Amino acid sequence: MVLAVRAGGISIGYIDEEEEYIVWAVRGVDLAIEEGDAFCLVGESGSGKTTFASAIAGILPPHAVTRGKLYIFDRLAIDESTWNFNGLRGRVVSYIPQNPGTSLSPFLTVEDHFYYVLRDTLRYDREKSRKAAMEALLKVGLDRGVLEDYPHELSGGMQQRVLIAIALASNAKIIVADEPTSAIDANLRASVLQLLGRLNREYRVTLLLVTHDLASTSIVCNRLAVMLAGKIVETGRTISVLRNPQHPYTKMLLDCVPLLGVKKPLKPLPGEPIQVVEDKAICPFRERCPRAIDKCVEEPPLKPVGDEENHYVKCWRLTGVESG
Amino acid sequence: MDSILELQRVTAGYKSIKGFKSLIKRVEIVLRDISFTVEKGERVAIIGESGSGKTTILRVILGLLKPISGKVLIYGKDLYSLPSDQKLQILRRIGYVPQDPYRSLNPVLKIKYIVGEPLEAVGVEWRHIEERASEVLKIVGLPQSIINDTAEELSGGMRQRVLIARAIIAEPEILVLDEPTSALDVSIQAQIINLLNSIYNTFKVTMITVTHDLGVAQYLADRLIILKSGKIVEEGSVDEVLRNPKSEYTKSLITSYLQITGINSLNNIKIRG
Ligand SMILES: Nc1ncnc2c1ncn2[C@@H]1O[C@H](COP(=O)(O)OP(=O)(O)OP(=O)(O)O)[C@@H](O)[C@H]1O
Ligand SMILES: Nc1ncnc2c1ncn2[C@@H]1O[C@H](COP(=O)(O)OP(=O)(O)OP(=O)(O)O)[C@@H](O)[C@H]1O
Ligand SMILES: [Mg+2]
Ligand SMILES: [Mg+2]
Repeated sequence: MVLAVRAGGISIGYIDEEEEYIVWAVRGVDLAIEEGDAFCLVGESGSGKTTFASAIAGILPPHAVTRGKLYIFDRLAIDESTWNFNGLRGRVVSYIPQNPGTSLSPFLTVEDHFYYVLRDTLRYDREKSRKAAMEALLKVGLDRGVLEDYPHELSGGMQQRVLIAIALASNAKIIVADEPTSAIDANLRASVLQLLGRLNREYRVTLLLVTHDLASTSIVCNRLAVMLAGKIVETGRTISVLRNPQHPYTKMLLDCVPLLGVKKPLKPLPGEPIQVVEDKAICPFRERCPRAIDKCVEEPPLKPVGDEENHYVKCWRLTGVESG
Repeated sequence: MDSILELQRVTAGYKSIKGFKSLIKRVEIVLRDISFTVEKGERVAIIGESGSGKTTILRVILGLLKPISGKVLIYGKDLYSLPSDQKLQILRRIGYVPQDPYRSLNPVLKIKYIVGEPLEAVGVEWRHIEERASEVLKIVGLPQSIINDTAEELSGGMRQRVLIARAIIAEPEILVLDEPTSALDVSIQAQIINLLNSIYNTFKVTMITVTHDLGVAQYLADRLIILKSGKIVEEGSVDEVLRNPKSEYTKSLITSYLQITGINSLNNIKIRG
């Protein structure tokens, strides 16, 4: 078993403009992603998904600060406050950004986009880049004719597929895809998700998919982690987490998904996502949790769930402190 | 039956200037021959992919975009041939929640001015507006304490509540919502869906919702109008359309939706283990 990504107690924060404080977006995360996994990171807005994903992709902004360790295939990429992504960024790990519209330059053709990325990562010349681009476009179901197009001449779905193709052409072993939250219909979503799933299965690309929609992970991912306020509150095989969710937050997420043809009331809990400034060790769901107890002012450990392989949950209610 | 809104063979589009050299103005047709009727008290959803013309339909209904041909009847009156004061009077009976809560709120205005705007526009006295603003904030579940804040610090869900408060403050009879949940997380989306339905039940409004999401539409509407490239490809009750879709587009939407959410809806779809 080869680990593609291993995070050990990693924390990532952003220094406030006036340098008065640090917003800790990711707080002490331990996580292992095996090579060939399709791993999904789920969580609400502001929970730290993009921050964690950009750490893996080696594209944290300069005002980010880090603690802990991050390995990409045995290479120590983040060692406390030191970063070393040379040879990893773009080559081993490729990133598909959250927003295709603003991630492509309006002044460059699709072919240019490929060229500039492949020149920098793989030292390709024009010709080699063009060949790689055509192969990758084929895989994502786009015609080679789009090479001459500018981004605005493509639909949102086509732009997204171009970004996936660029990630593919660089022969990266890990693709990090930050899913768009923008208004795309089910057809487009399904086709992008299926495409990513196919790349994972057929080309053994390790996939990290970021999304706020827990339900849509099931068609692509074999493992998932639920993130809340910078912490992982539940993780396991997709099938065991979705069939047998443990954390009250995970359960609520599932209760909120509209299901077609099934008339059930949606049951959101009141309250809003919280932003974490102080790095207090409490349960991040405490204030919204219908099952909170006094103990929840302390941070619960991530404990295994029953006999389920690799299924862990971070909740005092489920770790035997108090039953029921 | 009371028809409150009727579009009769509406074709509409935007003037565009194509190319730098030929400054020839042409009209880009976005909606083609759109006809539908909304009865009083109905909940209707307009569904379609990005760019299909959903927001454009709402612009036509809100008196903001005159159709190239066809008619818009509101309360039986031909909206675009009314004198402007009468047109305004009719439009005041419509409350509108625009797309994108992040861009639709003026970041420097206090919440009370944003929410009170529709009343201020018709010359209601300020102390009444403030009173009413705090009432609607309560209805949409926002704390009174934000009334003197700006929107800048608010989360997406709270912004959407502010926009809903503004839309209902003048007690509209028709509520028009453009993608009311698509910028939000699933849990906040569910909160907003429940809020809108409680407003519908309490105030007996007519509700027209635009969305790209069939699942959301199922919760916010009884009837669906499915749009593809500016044309209506299907129309019917939610049950009818979901159970027996007629157009290829609707069929593929339903299939895709079930694939995406497969795990929950029934165990008949294969999950990767
Ligand atoms: N470049 C940045 N500079 C400063 N703070 C940031 C930056 N990016 C994110 N943050 C903060 O870090 C926290 C986590 O943000 P992040 O973008 O990682 O969340 P997310 O889970 O990706 O959310 P979304 O679903 O909205 O994309 C938030 O509080 C956010 O305000
Ligand atoms: N103000 C405008 N001027 C010119 N063209 C426009 C304008 N607004 C929209 N369009 C064009 O009209 C078409 C339909 O746009 P519309 O905004 O109605 O789509 P929509 O279904 O609401 O899409 P979305 O789901 O992305 O909001 C698009 O091709 C768009 O580019
Ligand atoms: Mg993000
Ligand atoms: Mg729109």
